[in-house]
Amino acid sequence: MTMSSTLTRERTSSPPSPAPVRSRRRSARIVVEDLVIPNTVRVLLWLWVAFNLAMAIWVGVQSLKTDRDVLTAPFGLPSSPQWENFATAWTVSGFGGAALNSVLIVGFSGVITIALAAPAAYVIARSRRPAVRALTTYVALCVALPIQAIIVPLFVAKTLVSRFAVEIAFGWWDDRITLVIVYIGTSLAFSVFLLTAAFAGLPESLTEAAELDGASPARAFWSVVVPVAWPAIKSALVLNLLNMWNETLLVLVLLDDPAKQTLPAALLRLYGTMQYNADWGGLFAGLVILIYPMIVLYLWAGGRIMEGMTSGALK
Amino acid sequence: MSSTGPVPRTDLPVLRRRGERPRRRGPDTLFGRFAAPAITTMTLVVAVPSLFTVFLSFTDWRGLGSPMSAAGLRNYAALWYSDTFRTAMLNTFVLVLGGGVAIFAIVFLMLIGLRQMRGAAFARSVVFVPMIVSPIAIGVALGFLLNPNGAVNDLLGSIGLEEFQRAWLAPDMVFQMIVLGLIWSMSGYYLAIVATGVDQIPPYLYEEAQLAGATRWQQFWMITLPLSWEAASVAVVLWLISGMKTFEIVIAFVGTQGAPPLQARTAAVQQFLATTGGRDGTPQLGAAAAIGIAIFVFTAVFVVLARRLLRRDAVEVA
Repeated sequence: MTMSSTLTRERTSSPPSPAPVRSRRRSARIVVEDLVIPNTVRVLLWLWVAFNLAMAIWVGVQSLKTDRDVLTAPFGLPSSPQWENFATAWTVSGFGGAALNSVLIVGFSGVITIALAAPAAYVIARSRRPAVRALTTYVALCVALPIQAIIVPLFVAKTLVSRFAVEIAFGWWDDRITLVIVYIGTSLAFSVFLLTAAFAGLPESLTEAAELDGASPARAFWSVVVPVAWPAIKSALVLNLLNMWNETLLVLVLLDDPAKQTLPAALLRLYGTMQYNADWGGLFAGLVILIYPMIVLYLWAGGRIMEGMTSGALK
Repeated sequence: MSSTGPVPRTDLPVLRRRGERPRRRGPDTLFGRFAAPAITTMTLVVAVPSLFTVFLSFTDWRGLGSPMSAAGLRNYAALWYSDTFRTAMLNTFVLVLGGGVAIFAIVFLMLIGLRQMRGAAFARSVVFVPMIVSPIAIGVALGFLLNPNGAVNDLLGSIGLEEFQRAWLAPDMVFQMIVLGLIWSMSGYYLAIVATGVDQIPPYLYEEAQLAGATRWQQFWMITLPLSWEAASVAVVLWLISGMKTFEIVIAFVGTQGAPPLQARTAAVQQFLATTGGRDGTPQLGAAAAIGIAIFVFTAVFVVLARRLLRRDAVEVA
């Protein structure tokens, strides 16, 4: 059934001089379908919006209460803001170290991922060598592979890599480096995929002009293509930072030492001790330390994040 | 938004040029240098391990330091007959199917309201927010609210609904709460994807439908739904892929200390326990590898099935 036929049938089905009963029934139907349903849905949608906003604010308010108030008056306001909660979370519960780990691991992984993905995406988007087709398929396969299909070998490799580095190569190793390498490897496919679409959208005359002016192909890429495609590169970077900041499974599997783990793992560990040590204010301070940076990032680059995560999926 | 006419084909001149100039162009000469680092890293971290997973799944290896011998299909057979794994896999299916139906019912319902709503962009970006928040944080916050002495039960008590108070986190209820939490935190993302598809629908279709006397409800069924079908089926596939991997939110609800209750485990949680050894600390890497392959195969089957079921002839907009 095509749309135009339904529409015309709708048009012809209304009789030229409708009987009064029928028109009343029809107008009741219009009221329901044009006003009642859409407006009810809108009320529900705004309730959902309000709930999300309330949750985000509630976590912040809870983080400023005393441990007792967090439990006994979860929806009340703090009598006086307990900034000590953040101090305890930062020092006693190890969120300071975890935050540093998060920033370093995520920062290095995100930047290196993009630095490797951008050139690869450029040649995939631009080169006309026959190998490109196979490469595109290969990248797509790597995007589709769930982390569960590689986690066991990575778990084994972590031990082997650190053993090799300590005993044979450098006499020293830090599993956080392994995590950075794994983050880069697992984020590359998606980043290449996103950036290929971005580079393919640029006019080819751009690099041709630069090359006519005597720039080498590599130089044309770094000093002409990269600046022009900077917004897309930035959004790919932001998406990677976001995913890595929230990632937990690999942290739990690859880093045994709590002092080396990132923020989600620190929160998880603190939450696990709540039944013995009732540091509820500290728990919510930890939630704030984990959540709010991403909300700030979202406020700053929200449109770009949404676009990257949605249109990136639709391409 | 504004112009909906035929898009000028910017790709045509490029196509024509292709035949004229067979010489090597700039980007071609960069191929090795530019692609090799990324492709090598990807191969070492993703492709090679995935093959090793397949290999391991046919061995009885427990982990480094223990002997490895061929096990044929024994790992898979053991999974098939293991009540623990069957429960975990079944939970995953329930989560993916039940959660998916709920998420997409919400998404389509909300599309009816989003159309021509003031503040639609704001609403879309706020319902998206849980997607950028760590699932661990979502699980911890919801777990706090749902605690037996927690805020939800307090709230129910204070408005006289004591009979609805529950031990929300008890083993037989916690999985339902996890699925609810997942529905809440993921719906905004899939709404954003499908709504992006709806944005592409030319507005004149709605104008004509309105002139023809179609109500908003009819417009939804005759225009929005068929024309956002492609975006929706992409969203469904993405949900299948991410739902089958559900791990973090479960761990956040039940914790990693000790063994999470069987009723709440997903296949990914079960694999995590087999990899790290769980409570008794003896990893079963062969079995863990088999679980990984099972997750991958089921995901692939679901994706293919979904693509089949959701395939429609593209609706032509004249």
